[in-house]
Order: sequence, then C-alpha cells, then structure tokens
Amino acid sequence: MRYLRLLALFVRTELQFELAYRVNFLAELLSLVIIVVTSVAAVLILFAYTQTMNGWSFPAMLVLLGVFYIVQGVGELAFTPSFQQFMEQVRLGTLDFVLLKPASSQFLVSLRYFKLSNVAQVALGVIVTALGLARLGDELTLIALGEFAVALFCGLVLVYVLLLSLSTLAFWFVRVENLLAVYEAFLDAGRFPVDIYPGWLRLTMSTVIPIGIAITVPAQAVAGRLEALGLGLMVVVTIAAWAFARWFWRVGLRSYTGASA
Amino acid sequence: MGEPVVEVADLMKTFRVSEREEGLGATVRSVFRRRYRDVQAVAGISFGIEPGEVVGFLGPNGAGKTTTLKMLSGLLFPTSGRATVLGHVPWRREDRFLSRIALLMGNRTQLVWDIPAADSLRVLQEIYRIGETDYRRARDELVDLLDLGPLLNKPVRNLSLGERMKVEFAAGLIHSPQVAFLDEPTIGLDVSMQARIRRFVAEYNRRTGATVLLTSHYMDDVVALCRRVLVIHHGKLLYDGALAGLAERMTPYKLIVATLHDGAAHEDLGAYGAIVAREEGRVTLRVPRENVAERTARLVGDLGDRLADLSVEDPPIEEAVDRIFSGELPVATA
Repeated sequence: MRYLRLLALFVRTELQFELAYRVNFLAELLSLVIIVVTSVAAVLILFAYTQTMNGWSFPAMLVLLGVFYIVQGVGELAFTPSFQQFMEQVRLGTLDFVLLKPASSQFLVSLRYFKLSNVAQVALGVIVTALGLARLGDELTLIALGEFAVALFCGLVLVYVLLLSLSTLAFWFVRVENLLAVYEAFLDAGRFPVDIYPGWLRLTMSTVIPIGIAITVPAQAVAGRLEALGLGLMVVVTIAAWAFARWFWRVGLRSYTGASA
Repeated sequence: MGEPVVEVADLMKTFRVSEREEGLGATVRSVFRRRYRDVQAVAGISFGIEPGEVVGFLGPNGAGKTTTLKMLSGLLFPTSGRATVLGHVPWRREDRFLSRIALLMGNRTQLVWDIPAADSLRVLQEIYRIGETDYRRARDELVDLLDLGPLLNKPVRNLSLGERMKVEFAAGLIHSPQVAFLDEPTIGLDVSMQARIRRFVAEYNRRTGATVLLTSHYMDDVVALCRRVLVIHHGKLLYDGALAGLAERMTPYKLIVATLHDGAAHEDLGAYGAIVAREEGRVTLRVPRENVAERTARLVGDLGDRLADLSVEDPPIEEAVDRIFSGELPVATA
C-alpha cells in the first residue's frame, strides 16, 4: 500500500517534470504516432500479397504488433528510465542516498523514474491489439483471452526481470549501458513472431534474452497457436526468473557494500 | 549523560583495488588478468560518542574518514570490528535504524535537478513515513533555520551552489534524525555561506539535541562547532579529546613571546629559538616543547631588565589542524 502511494508520487513528480518541457513532450508523442502508424502500414502491405506468414494470419500479426508496442512501451515508460538513472547513480556514487532510505532499494531503484510520453505508445499498442482481436472474431474464445492476459503479464515481468538483472551487473562493471542497447536490439526483432526466425536465433531470443517469449506467447494465445504446456512453462519460467533476479540483486548489493557475497 | 549513541570497537575496512600500469598494452592485459592490492582504509579504530555531542573528524585526504562514516551509516560492510549506532548494527540497514540517521555529503546531491526541492521533500516524507504535522513542523523549522524562503519552490538547477547546499540540508534532515553524519558539508562554499552552514549546524544541534559527527577540510568548521575532535591518519586514530588539547599533542613546539624595552629592540634572539615573527619590540620564538623551561630561564637571565614581558603560548589551533590535513604528523604522538 505504501509502495503504491510512493509509486503515485513518483509518477506525479515525473509528470511535473515532463510538463515543464512541453514542446519536447509533444514532439515525442508525434514521433511515437508516426512509428506505430508506419509499422502497421508495413504489415498491411505485407498481407496485401499473402494470407498468412508462416502460419500467422493478418489479425494475429496485428495482435503481435500491438503486444510488441505494449511491451516496448511499458519497458520505456516504467523500466528503462529508472535503470538508466541507476547506472548513473552507481557511477556518481549517489546510489548511496538510495541505500540510506528506509525502504526496499530494489523498488526505489527500479520504479523511480518514468517517461510518461510512452503512455501514448502503450495506448496505441492497446488499440492495435484490440483491432487485431476484433478481427479474429469467432476464433477468439474467452479462455484464449484469459491466457492472453496471463501471458502478457508474464511477458512484462520477464522484461522487468531481464532489465533488472542486466542493470545489476553495474555493481561490478559500473558502465553497462551498452547491455541496455543489446536489450533494445533484441526487442526490436520481437516485432515479428519468434517462430519465423531460424533455429539458433529463435533459441537466443526465447532463452538468453526472453523477448521472443514476452511478445510472441501472448499473441500465440489468441491466435490459437499455443499449447497448454507453453503457457504453464511461461508462468514457471517467469516465477523462476523473478526469484533469480531478486537473488542476483541482493548479491550485487552485498558486493557494492563490501559484505562478502 | 546517557548511553553512548555511537560505539565503535576495532573497526577495520580493507578495500581490494585493481591495479594497472599506464599504457594501452597494460590496459589490454588488465582486461584478462587483473592484479589486486589490498588497501587498508580503516585500520582498527575505537571510540564512543555521547548523545547530543558535536564531534569533528579530522584527517588528511584518504585517512579513512569517509569510509568510517559510510560504515556507521550502513553503506559499507566492515572487514572486521564492531559498531553500534542508536543500538543498531548499521550495516544490517534495518528500516528503524535508517529512519533515525542521516548522512549528508557535501560533494553529492540527492535532489532531483529539474524539479523544485519541495517536491523532493514530499517524496522523502512518504519514504520516511513522516506524518503531516511532523512533516510541517520539521520543514518549517528547517526553512526558518536555513533561511530558505522561496528556495524550496525553485527548480534545483536554478539554485546557486550555496543555496543548493542549504536545500540539501533540508532534504537530508527532514526526517529529524537523531544522529547526523556530515561529510564535508561546507566544501566548495564561499566564506559567508560556510559561516551560515556552521551557524545552522550549531543551532540545529542545540534545538534538536541531535548528535553530529562531521568531517571537514575547513578547520573553521571544526573550531566553531566541535569541542571534541577525533584525528585519524592512515586509518588509525591518533587523537581523541578536547579540541583545546589538540595543539599540545599535534605540534611538538611552543611559542615564546618576548617583549623588549625600546632600547633593546635590535637584540638578536635567534640563539634562543627559531624566530617566527618580529614586530616592533615583540619577538615570537618557536621552541621545542621539551626545551621551553630551559630557554625561558636563559632568556630571563640573559636579557635581565631589557625584557618587558615574556609569555609562553601554544601554537594556534589552526596550525595544528593544518599539520593534520597536510599529513605531516609527529610520529611520536601515535
């Protein structure tokens, strides 16, 4: 409860900050709209020539694209700004101030800064997803929709966990910004279904950097391409990844403060 | 006096730092094989601080002051030794401990650059779970003591360095800590702002009874605020006691001031000690402590009634503190 109140407060201060730079804020919104519209157009053009792409229909591709924008949007809205600040704080030594606070350091580090213009991207992602879902029509069952929601939630948690673990490396290596760039590159590849990529790349995208799972599995759920085992596995993997990331964070913190890890 | 607020016993901290020679070749080699060296930052120190004390922590750069403060505020895990602050082991970093202490660092800021400090204070209120009435009382008191006026409502980036430090104090103390660790709180500030911060710390200590342990490079800070000082050098505690006694321990000489009658103003007193000042008929001589009695007697005997006045003084405290900061400490005092 207290953390929810804190979260609301953080968002409010960020909003003040972004509104102080209104022109910048509007320019970001505009560029987001252009990016989303052009990539939807690209899918439209693609499907003008073909009915399915490796088994993916047009509505399913729309859902996938929508999920991609939701995941990317939430990542850039809520996760990456804080992690970038965190690395800066490690470098400058101001992380000390965070560790001096009587509250969870993981929370204060990872959900402190927001880039609110990305709310628009999440919203566009939701619209694109909704359009795709509507086009699926009768094919869409309530169960599939439920699976979609569970898979999407797990996907977002996986992205958070991935970013947290990558950032934790800063405790030892200080400068790890480029690891975030690797994340972005893989995320970009996630706008197409994992199963269209060749085997080795698919394996990397779904295990080492779980972007593929985070984006493809929710879309698979509504496209009727998901086996029951797939979703169960995703839930288990998400819980395991969460536990690992929390443990890894604590190890990093202990190393930072010089406690033997 | 109550129970000690801070108790430190044999506290020790060793850092392992990677070493590397100059040049590209050495840099590339160091990527694959790092060489490490152990640096002892704090080499076993012990002391205690009573509630409400303002204690100065002195020593040259790299003496171990900041490392000690970081261990006492729970940011660093010691290599060995014990410490309790307000009855807690700092490095366990319990919330109940953290909400009762503060660490301010003069060269680092916790304020968010682009928003007014008032907003940062609200966030701190929530993090420290300060009730609205307590929050207002603490904030108004800090605004009053620091003469903050409208500063809280300006974006931090628009504040001058001195103003920012004042606001930094407000943010650091908004939760009314019982123990405040101040690491170089006046660094980089101009003289009048230093004085202002000093007055604030003294007044804050008087009003709230908070215990203060501060390090500073400006001895004026220490002279103005601390009756008791701890001197640390190479990680070891060299002196723990009254500021007044510091000169005696840290400087191995005293000053003999001889005032001569008009007719004897030309007298050369170089044979009695090193002349450090000479004005009109007043000569100041520097004499090793152990020779003071004998030189004084000789002066009186030799000069007889040409001598108008004679006094023996400790060197100014400034000089003692300067010697500490420049690292030239008398070995014998350890």
